[in-house]
Amino acid sequence: MWWLKNIYAVDPSGSCGKRDILIREGKIEANAERLSPEEVAERAGGEPVESLNGEGKYLFPGFIDAHTHLREPGQEAKEDIASGAAAAVKGGFTSIIAMANTEPPVDSRGLVEFVRTQGARAGLARVYPLGTVTKGMRGRELVEMLDLKEGGAVGFSDDGHNLQNSEVMRLALEYAKLTGLPIVSHSEDENLACGGAMHRGKAAARLGLKGIPSSAESIMVARDLMLAAETGGKIHLAHISCRESVRLIREAKERGLDVSAEVNPHHLLFTDRDVDLFNTSLKVNPPLRSEEDQEALLTGLLDGTLDMLATDHAPHVWEEKARPFAEAPFGIIGLETALAAVWQRLVVPGKLSPKRLAEVWSLAPARRFGLPGGTLRPGSPADLVLFDPEWRERITSDSLASKAQNTPFLGQELQGFPTLVWVGGEPVLRGRQLCPAGDGVRHR
Amino acid sequence: MRMFKDLLGLEGLSPDEIRHILQTAKPMKEVLLRPVKKLPTLRGKAVYTLFYEASTRTKTSFEMAAKVLGADAVNIGVSQSSVNKGESLLDTAKTLQAMQTDLIIIRHAASGAAGFLARHLEAGVINAGDGQHEHPTQALLDLFTMQEKLGDLRGKKVIIVGDVLHSRVARSNVWGLTKLGAEVVLAGPPTLLPPELSVLGVKLSYDLDRELPGADVVMALRLQLERQQAGLFPSLREYSRSYGLDRARLRATGKETLILHPGPMNRGVEIASDLADGPQGMVEEQVTNGVAVRMAVIYLLMGGTTNVVA
Repeated sequence: MWWLKNIYAVDPSGSCGKRDILIREGKIEANAERLSPEEVAERAGGEPVESLNGEGKYLFPGFIDAHTHLREPGQEAKEDIASGAAAAVKGGFTSIIAMANTEPPVDSRGLVEFVRTQGARAGLARVYPLGTVTKGMRGRELVEMLDLKEGGAVGFSDDGHNLQNSEVMRLALEYAKLTGLPIVSHSEDENLACGGAMHRGKAAARLGLKGIPSSAESIMVARDLMLAAETGGKIHLAHISCRESVRLIREAKERGLDVSAEVNPHHLLFTDRDVDLFNTSLKVNPPLRSEEDQEALLTGLLDGTLDMLATDHAPHVWEEKARPFAEAPFGIIGLETALAAVWQRLVVPGKLSPKRLAEVWSLAPARRFGLPGGTLRPGSPADLVLFDPEWRERITSDSLASKAQNTPFLGQELQGFPTLVWVGGEPVLRGRQLCPAGDGVRHR
Repeated sequence: MRMFKDLLGLEGLSPDEIRHILQTAKPMKEVLLRPVKKLPTLRGKAVYTLFYEASTRTKTSFEMAAKVLGADAVNIGVSQSSVNKGESLLDTAKTLQAMQTDLIIIRHAASGAAGFLARHLEAGVINAGDGQHEHPTQALLDLFTMQEKLGDLRGKKVIIVGDVLHSRVARSNVWGLTKLGAEVVLAGPPTLLPPELSVLGVKLSYDLDRELPGADVVMALRLQLERQQAGLFPSLREYSRSYGLDRARLRATGKETLILHPGPMNRGVEIASDLADGPQGMVEEQVTNGVAVRMAVIYLLMGGTTNVVA
């Protein structure tokens, strides 16, 4: 049993403050303002107690990342489920949702179960698969959504491709009602985005790069919201990047649609003005947009228009990114750096409270995708993050657990990291070192 | 004066640095016009041209410039090289480095490709056109041509007309001209002149005829036929009616306006033959000056000073 003493606990489903917390048999045993040694001994029932002084540290429910690309099966040179799950716990994520655009895409129950099994074998973060929406991500026939759900899929997405055919999107929203799971939309009009390398605006005009206009996203957001309204379907909008989309989502929520939306940390931390022709780790889709867009995204995240943060962790091998900007693939890795960067640049300056951080990166994804977690209530699974706001670390290719290094923070020092992470009551990260379960299948 | 290894664009150069290059090109042009056009200056130096996009005049111009200066110019035919076997730009660059290249002249469809090479190579790099980004030697030869005819460019009005959006020539010219104090107007249809081009800091106009009065120079950009297929303008006919240069239209300037074109020309589309071949047409002059300006750039990048060429 663990006894965390006098720690600042941030419970997005309750309150925040100094607490004593007990972890026993994989669950949160107690969460109280103060516990006496007698009470603790009684609760332990003879079990040895490992106690820890939490002074100056934060305790969060494990962070949950709703958007990661783990590249397995098929593209293991970029990442695999074990390395992705390792990166996750190093960054404070106890649960991650794996996108389905692998090779082959996760469009059958067998593949859904494979992803879950690989996650359990890694024994680090919990790995939840998304299934594709259509077979082979070809945008035509729907997958066997009921079967995929039984296999463990928590939603459906053709992310990376957009469903350009509106009728297929409509049918997907209708049919997914049978599962109660959301359709995750990568909202992008391929004709408007075609060939672009960065946000269409003055920075692109100066650099001579073809731009991706905001309308490439907002038009599809508008379409998806119309279809969600018409069908009553459940939709989650991935990686929202521009102010027009925020406005559309705000209106849709006022009308009571079953819509949720995410924003990626890089869209809150960088703009198109940070892009130059050589730093391909800032090449991402949707692209880094203007300062006005960035403001609208933060406002949206604070007022609840945008429900959650998600990294869109998109690993690539170094050679792919070591190309001229226009030719490099899109994507930024985020699992190991996103929490620290958001902490440093948004939480420390007071733009985002620790509680809102836990709401948008733990509670909201747990609720939307039906996952355990997002709370510090007694009886909940002990997926927990002990966060040290003073811990500093330089991000280098050697320090990263991910196989990839396409992060704009490479070579920089960040401050604020998890120093102890539990999944199901077991430590998986201790003193910044991974400690995977030796006995294989640990979770569930 | 800063010492450079590379020439990647004009955006990062100071007005004095641009003037220095143009000044150096003057004696180079004299050498070029001699019966025996050969200098020993760069004897034993190896200059490679690496062109990923089709080009005749620019590539030949660079080769000529290098040879007049006494360097060995080697052309790497991209279509016959291992590039076709999937070799990355970085690996190609490293291979050239290993051959002890002194200078690489690259044209590539990706903006930033020349800068990318420069970052990975000890050898010097000249950008001979990278995507829609910059084509610095083209702008330098345009500046040289204008200066030769007009003298100081301060306060001179220069109109660049056509497909500005996709034009690296236009971008480099805007930086160069504004640094030398000229007034620049970019003209073209809205689809080829989107509002974000205001970042270049010069006037944008859809109405060429309204801008013509007082123009000292009008530069027509080459119109790529595939832009019509992409729906950027309805037809060459309609384009030509609003933006094609001909003698009648040019009367509106009220001056002996110089007509420039980076070539190759679509005669009868962006420029009428009588204008291109007439006394105001600078196209052939530009080609000659192109060799001189490229000699100057190669010479300066290889560590030369202005007074060696005598």
